[in-house]
Amino acid sequence: MSEKALSRFVQPVAVPGRRLLHHIPLKFVRKKVAGGGGRSVNSEIPLIPFIDFLLCIVLFLLASFSASGELPIDKTIKLPNAENVIDMTDAPMCAITGTQILVDGSPAGSTRVIEEANRLQRVEELFNILKNKRELWKQLNPGKDFPGVIVLQVDRKVQALVVKSVFQTAAFAGYPNVSFMVGRLGKQ
Amino acid sequence: MAGIDVGGHGGKRSTNHEIPLIPFIDFLLCLVAFLLVTAVWSQMARINADARVPGPPQPDEPKDPPKEKQLHVEMKGDTKFQLVWKEGNTVVNTIDLDRKSVPVGNQGDYRFPDLAKKITDEWTANGTHRAASDLKLDQAVLHTDNSTPFSDVIAVIDAIYTPKREFSLGGKTDKVAAFNVTFAVN
Repeated sequence: MSEKALSRFVQPVAVPGRRLLHHIPLKFVRKKVAGGGGRSVNSEIPLIPFIDFLLCIVLFLLASFSASGELPIDKTIKLPNAENVIDMTDAPMCAITGTQILVDGSPAGSTRVIEEANRLQRVEELFNILKNKRELWKQLNPGKDFPGVIVLQVDRKVQALVVKSVFQTAAFAGYPNVSFMVGRLGKQ
Repeated sequence: MAGIDVGGHGGKRSTNHEIPLIPFIDFLLCLVAFLLVTAVWSQMARINADARVPGPPQPDEPKDPPKEKQLHVEMKGDTKFQLVWKEGNTVVNTIDLDRKSVPVGNQGDYRFPDLAKKITDEWTANGTHRAASDLKLDQAVLHTDNSTPFSDVIAVIDAIYTPKREFSLGGKTDKVAAFNVTFAVN
């Protein structure tokens, strides 16, 4: 067998590396099309996990969202704090500031009158409002037992005389289960 | 960027679509900001009191029920407390206690840990309603001066609610305050 006939089986040994486009004689063209050989400085932001994260936050916030604004607390009232407390309940709110008594935001009497009288007394205006509320509840919920729960928001400086007068008035008006709204204090 | 590739590269109008992710992220961020701004992080709670108004008469109710022991907590001025166990009008036991307040937090609140401990000891020794199946609670009556600030009243009620007992209702057992508090009318 001749040497020429065997030459097609001979594999040339070459240095490993890029093969394509290296025949172009211009160096700057070769560099451009070959990508320069360096690591790319462009990077993709992983958007899909980011969107998943945002969706989780949105779902959590929507689940804990309250359209009613939750507990309307009078800004002039500074509530005391306590440790042995229970969770809030949905009930009429009676706020006692330094000067006036409010039921669900409407005026229902003055604390000055009670302080000046210096004796336990029934607050007539408050009594009538609470009694009307109770009658309305009974009309709207016929056949059901009236829960008789009222929540008092009392400023920490209000005298016990005023608190006891409002407490007793609420009981007379059919709200014997009185709760005092307080801040939640951590256990010591 | 995210896209929907349905394949096919015919000459007609392309059926592949890119989802506009950037406006979608902007929308989500706006939603998060709105919900965070409008969120209500409430730490409010309540403390119970009972006006002890008698309910409608029950047919099986005894006419002259036995008088139960009640714990009367009296705020005697600014210096001391007096705990009085009474059965009806009969005084069973009287305990005097110094009024030592301990400030808590930075909002001017304070507690009466000595009073809380004494009330817990007293309930352990003399409390009537202890069984989890007992639906009644022991009664505490709070006596205060008319000029006592409400923060003091709450601190004392908080001390009265310190002793806890088990309470079973509807097959569920919870820890509840051993006493039910009401105000003395004087």
